[in-house]
Amino acid sequence: MKPMLSTDLNAVDTTVEKAKIEVKNLNFYYGQSKALKDINLSLPERSVTAFIGPSGCGKSTLLRVLNRIYELYPKQTAEGQVLLDGKNILDRSQDLNLLRTKIGMVFQKPTPFPMSIYENIAFGVRLYEKISKAEMDNRVEQALKRAALWNEVKDKLNASGLSLSGGQQQRLCIARTVAVKPEVILLDEPASALDPLSTAKIEELIDELQADYTIVIVTHNMQQAARVSRQTAFMYLGELVEFDRTEKIFTSPREKRTQDYITGRFG
Amino acid sequence: MSTALSLHRSRKRKNSVMMALCVIAAGIGLAWLALILGALIYKGLAGVSPAVFTQMTPPPGDAGGLLNAIYGSIVMTVIGIIVGTPIGVLAGTYMAEYGRFSKLTTVVRFINDILLSAPSIIVGLFVYELLVRPMGHFSAIAGAVALSILVIPVVVRTTEDMLNLVPNALREAGTAIGAPRWVVIRSVAYRAALSGIVTGILLAIARISGETAPLLFTALNNQFWSSNLNAPMASLPVTIFQFALSPYEEWQQLAWTGALIITLTVLGLSIIARSLTGRREDR
Repeated sequence: MKPMLSTDLNAVDTTVEKAKIEVKNLNFYYGQSKALKDINLSLPERSVTAFIGPSGCGKSTLLRVLNRIYELYPKQTAEGQVLLDGKNILDRSQDLNLLRTKIGMVFQKPTPFPMSIYENIAFGVRLYEKISKAEMDNRVEQALKRAALWNEVKDKLNASGLSLSGGQQQRLCIARTVAVKPEVILLDEPASALDPLSTAKIEELIDELQADYTIVIVTHNMQQAARVSRQTAFMYLGELVEFDRTEKIFTSPREKRTQDYITGRFG
Repeated sequence: MSTALSLHRSRKRKNSVMMALCVIAAGIGLAWLALILGALIYKGLAGVSPAVFTQMTPPPGDAGGLLNAIYGSIVMTVIGIIVGTPIGVLAGTYMAEYGRFSKLTTVVRFINDILLSAPSIIVGLFVYELLVRPMGHFSAIAGAVALSILVIPVVVRTTEDMLNLVPNALREAGTAIGAPRWVVIRSVAYRAALSGIVTGILLAIARISGETAPLLFTALNNQFWSSNLNAPMASLPVTIFQFALSPYEEWQQLAWTGALIITLTVLGLSIIARSLTGRREDR
């Protein structure tokens, strides 16, 4: 069970790096049905981690536990621990709104708010900061630059966010997330509704963002996981089957199920 | 081959027969509408003059206008909307946002649907017992309350429906950025559903501006100018009801004109409501 590759120079044990998020013995339930089974995983800081697996394997569920967005719906419960910088965010005393300013999220379908491009970004900033108009202008500009959208929208900041194309809308959502200065960014299949060109832009962006943020991405697309992530977690039927450096998962996985999935034998 | 062909022919025949039936049915419906509108415009327009908007309802045999009735209708409708809209919007918000998964919402929705289709005369009788009898006299306030009770279910329904149309993804996005629930509702959900909610309010105005039955037992009517909310007040529908049944020609003419005014108002509101909804769908 341990075909250790001494030749693989990149095979750094992920637990050695500083963990931003540690998931410990996590179980998740939709009503009575168990969707996540005893998940243990540690996400290193300032690096991209991908969750892959067939539909219904629990990868999105796991992502939605990390900012506790699942609590919008009744009968969804999480047990265990999720430590953000050592502090358990599943704790009752955790302020959810503050948690979500630290852990931003971008969804599968672009979700611009029904307001102007400028307001889409200012909205989140204004929630927790009182800053002057000039500072806000600067903040909006920085966020849009960060999301590689500034050049396309700088002349129409007052246009509706809904007037942008799908790919632009998704980058607007990333800009909006970045603007509130989170520490972690969760991406739930952020490119699956986009064309290849927009997808490439988003992936480029993810690559740049990992210098400053801890990024977790859920994706159906294995090539995408291979391209953008440093670590990959393969999940199947609510279990974490294998978690390792991305090259390792895609070239010499330990588990047969991982091997079968990445070679397209199922899923 | 020939059976397939004959099958095809018989289908085509059936299709044309059904098509003709549908066109005839639609034509019959539209014909009545056209006849009503035509008669209304023909008879109503004849009586339109500045006097209609400047003079009070006349005694039998005299010339006059509808000013007090128009004023009364506007006052009671406005109060009805001001009272009914906040209650309706807040109840609809509870049902679509906070109480989306609660039993209470199902119960409220069921009762609201009953209220929505309750005959308006029953609402009139209810307010009669609630306000008119204890106060000892008919009043504009009682009329406005009756109208507001009619507004509530319409607004509750449209507000809930429109908020339910707002994609959950948008709520999740608002939440994910750290916005508290009430901010998500106010700044994201309301904004996305705004034109739909406004449409509901306009439709509620359209509905109550033509209601007669709930006013008969509450605001009664008033032959003279009155801006006292604590006294009987004239209104267009009740005036039309009274004048149309009268034997006096001047009164009958005023009834036609009043009917035309209400119809055009309702038509205008519906067009505005339509264009608002249309714009929403364009986006």
